[in-house]
Amino acid sequence: MTMEKQRTPKNIFVQGAISPEKIAKSIANHQSKTDIGGHSIFLGQVRKDQKDNGTVVAIEYTAYEEMALQKAFEIREAIFAKYPLNCMHIYHSLGRVDAGQICLFVFTSSKHRRAAMDACDELVERIKAELPVWGKELLDSEEHVWKVNQ
Amino acid sequence: MKNKIRIRTFGMIAEEIGQSKLTLDQIATTENLKDYLFAQFPKLQSMKFSIAVNQKLVQGDEQIPEGAEVALLPPFSGG
Repeated sequence: MTMEKQRTPKNIFVQGAISPEKIAKSIANHQSKTDIGGHSIFLGQVRKDQKDNGTVVAIEYTAYEEMALQKAFEIREAIFAKYPLNCMHIYHSLGRVDAGQICLFVFTSSKHRRAAMDACDELVERIKAELPVWGKELLDSEEHVWKVNQ
Repeated sequence: MKNKIRIRTFGMIAEEIGQSKLTLDQIATTENLKDYLFAQFPKLQSMKFSIAVNQKLVQGDEQIPEGAEVALLPPFSGG
């Protein structure tokens, strides 16, 4: 008999950049889950864009945290219902993340690769469109512009 | 708090209003709230934002329950 796992909202937010060590450790943590055959990972990285008033040196993220966590939970449940996944992890930065550093880490795992890859894609799209999170692009001129998602 | 609503602002809306939290006397609907905000902060009229009442996005004009938390949300730009 399998126990139905009751899932509740969990924190997705990380203060500052997401370190490569955290990502490596997260991969290593799955070595004991031997029914997994494929992982898909998306890493969002802060781009050093040229803007009219300067060059982006960092993005400072803020969020409506309570609403974002509830929404992330709903998205998570919907993706679990849609794809045969073994595991799903979402981490998003808050606060300052310098250009070149990682600000979003989405990690899905499944028995066969296709589910993990499709679920990862859809998660990233939904996270960017539906989570109340804002990026303030800090420029080398001390000015800033508000990030606009494509 | 009875007869009060709590307003939370984010991103460029927070920057324009100059505060991330406000407490206002009860306002009946989200359209009434917009009228009030546009009068107080005229620049908001040209800014895009959606409204969440008690963390749910509203569509069109909705009632604001007593003591609600109302958030002004500019276009999301996470990731």
